[in-house]
Amino acid sequence: MTQQRALTLFAALFAVFYLVAVEMNWALITYHPRQEAWGWGAQAATKGPAMHWYGWLASAALAATVATLIAVPVLKRIAIPTWIGWVAPLAVIVAFAWVLRIFFFR
Amino acid sequence: MITFLLILHGLTSVVLLGGLTHQALAVLFPAKAGGGVMTSFRSVNAAVYTKANIVLYLVTFVLGALIYPAYRVAVRTWIERARLWEISGSFEMKEQFVAVGLGMLPLYWFVWRKPLDPALASTRTWITAILCAIVWFGFLVGHILNNVRGLFGQ
Repeated sequence: MTQQRALTLFAALFAVFYLVAVEMNWALITYHPRQEAWGWGAQAATKGPAMHWYGWLASAALAATVATLIAVPVLKRIAIPTWIGWVAPLAVIVAFAWVLRIFFFR
Repeated sequence: MITFLLILHGLTSVVLLGGLTHQALAVLFPAKAGGGVMTSFRSVNAAVYTKANIVLYLVTFVLGALIYPAYRVAVRTWIERARLWEISGSFEMKEQFVAVGLGMLPLYWFVWRKPLDPALASTRTWITAILCAIVWFGFLVGHILNNVRGLFGQ
């Protein structure tokens, strides 16, 4: 039961934290592909583009793991339905489609 | 090396597409064994695909992450110069959708654990359908991007 609650929360929290990480550009790491160099945090582009995607993934994974570990014992008396584990990611997917619609309506 | 990884990424995505589509159709439109091709396609033992789908998703994801810098430096630059905004936006969507799918994998594994829990049937159906849609979208976008200069070269 604890495993079910933890994995449900993780699926929901990962999606939400990932959306926040992308929109706020909270990247744990940045990759500079032209220099083949890594850096901590969300760094600006220098000689060539800066890639934040790996950093957003790392931020979301770290935040979701920590939040799940805290939430499972804290919310132990509250029922967590498993549908949260797919409704939240689906909502985040719709949110991304909405945010990225600008590419299709230029 | 990038070409090799790109082809491997494409091949693993095809296998993943097959596994997830089998599982999704079997759970969305279950059918008894026998009958025609479509009935046979839907009448598989859906649970047996789970671990293979997870491994294939992870392998395809890692391969995609490895070839992403080459895309960012060479391909996206060309796409932006060609003002193919819909193509560029489609890739942006793909990278976000597959990332969200990654976070769903642990729950996906849990809801498909044997013996299958009838109480989790609805979640099992939805999570499989969403992952299947993500992988189909990613595959189609990747396929178009792979051929972008041939399809849209000016």
